Amino acid sequence: MSQNEPPGGIFGLSYDDETRAFEALKLVSTAIIVLVGVWPIYWLAQLAFTEYETVEDVVTVFPTPDIFTVDNFTVLTQPEMYTYMFNTVVVAIGTIVTVVLVSLIAGYGLARLDFPQKENFARVLLIGYLFSPIVIGIPLYQIWQNIGLLGTRFGLIIALSAISMPFAVWLMWKYIMTIPEAHEEAAWVDGASRWRGFRDVVVPQCRPAIIAAALFAFALAWNDFTFAQILLPQTDTTTFAPGILRAMGQAQFLPDAYLMAISLAMTLPPLLFAYFMQSYLLKGFQVRAL
Amino acid sequence: MASETGKSIRPGRAYIPWDDLPVQRETVAGVATVLPVVVLYLLIAVLPIAFAFWASLHNIHTLNPEWQWAGFSNYREVMNISTFWGSLWRGIVYMVGSTLLQLAVGLWMALVLNRITRGQKLLTAVVFTAYLIPTIIVSLVAMRVFDPAGGVFQMIGTEWFSLWGAQEAPLGSRGWAMQLLILIGTWKFAVFVTIFTLAQLRAIPDRFYEAAKICGANRWQMFRDITLPRLMGIVTVVVLLRSVFMFNKFDIIWQLTEGGPGNATTTLPILAYKTVYTEQAYGLANAISVVMFLFLLASAIIYFKLFNPSEEVETTT
Repeated sequence: MSQNEPPGGIFGLSYDDETRAFEALKLVSTAIIVLVGVWPIYWLAQLAFTEYETVEDVVTVFPTPDIFTVDNFTVLTQPEMYTYMFNTVVVAIGTIVTVVLVSLIAGYGLARLDFPQKENFARVLLIGYLFSPIVIGIPLYQIWQNIGLLGTRFGLIIALSAISMPFAVWLMWKYIMTIPEAHEEAAWVDGASRWRGFRDVVVPQCRPAIIAAALFAFALAWNDFTFAQILLPQTDTTTFAPGILRAMGQAQFLPDAYLMAISLAMTLPPLLFAYFMQSYLLKGFQVRAL
Repeated sequence: MASETGKSIRPGRAYIPWDDLPVQRETVAGVATVLPVVVLYLLIAVLPIAFAFWASLHNIHTLNPEWQWAGFSNYREVMNISTFWGSLWRGIVYMVGSTLLQLAVGLWMALVLNRITRGQKLLTAVVFTAYLIPTIIVSLVAMRVFDPAGGVFQMIGTEWFSLWGAQEAPLGSRGWAMQLLILIGTWKFAVFVTIFTLAQLRAIPDRFYEAAKICGANRWQMFRDITLPRLMGIVTVVVLLRSVFMFNKFDIIWQLTEGGPGNATTTLPILAYKTVYTEQAYGLANAISVVMFLFLLASAIIYFKLFNPSEEVETTT
């Protein structure tokens, strides 16, 4: 902001005062956002390293040496917890693979091929945002039971893939449209088939979009509670979110510090992704595949 | 960007029987590419909704599925059970409260993040973490800090503000459960609003603000006349989406309170779930599902009226 301007800013302040007030406000806001955003994660981490008897009794702010421990992480080796985490990982990977494959092909078709009702198809696709896991999950419970998909990870992967489809397909569609078709034409002139052109020209250039779609599919699968709760009813074959909740109700010995330790382990992958892959995440949103 | 000249040099291929069909090969290929998506949608959306409607016309026991024709009596029963209207009301309270709070917090975060110069990467990471972190972990932390035995927020609420008694669990109290659910949900879901509005804010060219500054506009005027009109479109869509999501929210409510104490936080999704597994009335639960689906459908229609995808395509380059 330039200096020595006549008063005329907000609340009758001069422009300089306004700028100063604005900067101060911005600083305070930033501090609040960081504090409120980081605090729960900090609290989770510090409780995970505190002895479990202490966690149950008193409020501690930092795991000082006399209460510090890593024993809480032994919970990760319990067979059932291990199963829950393993299932979550399998479901996440399965969802990512399905979403990326299906959305890449559909996005290519929408961007490059001409077929009737294309725009309307894309429009109807957006209804997927309004699929509610609870509305769909309740009927799906009986349907999956009848065709034998109830309690299988495959059934859950299909349900989760469908939910992440609108975002992924729109993202791929928009992204492929930004790749000049001339690149493919060059390959066709050299005798490549359409499939070959798709595989060797389009897919490599789609890397940022693929990563963004994969991250969102991951977030969805990692987050999911409702579908897993309904579609994986057996306690011993379910994923992390419903599993841990049921374990809390049933287990004889499951102190909160253990829960914090396993939560920390489950938070680490998203935390690392959020930090190291944020440029891809932002790119995904900049394409504005709403 | 698809150039018309591309057609003349499309790759040739060996003879395939469908070349004789009255439709073009490109149409076949195009439809084939979106076929997996269509199948997924049929399987996960159309089939369950149709099934739910059919099941809602029967009396079904959850564990022993023996379908007994009941006509529309399930719907009559839904309208008559007292918990339905109570749940609908609480669902609306939860939806409106959450959406307003998330909108306020989310917009504020987006405006701050947009103007920030240093530490942007870290801040963005913080914001995205809230988006990526599983709901169950948010719930576990919330249950810990509101636990009467060594929970920090419970202690602060007791000793500093005397909001609740020393041995009282705020999440189990009628007065606080709903407010806390809305607050805890906002920590995670306000980020959704931030992400969408931030993308829109970044798309506003700086020259607009420069021009306004030269004309002597102050910050409030710039916000009112440049930023706000540009944001209105996305805000409408986000408000609609958030309302629908919050109305259908099951996970965080179930994890934190299971609809309790009593029915204090029972919204329609919780009611439907309880009807399936506690009352074992699968047909009745499907009737509730169908009612909720009708709400979704109405929202979807508004959504399409507000949001034009073909417009969206033009702005993506």
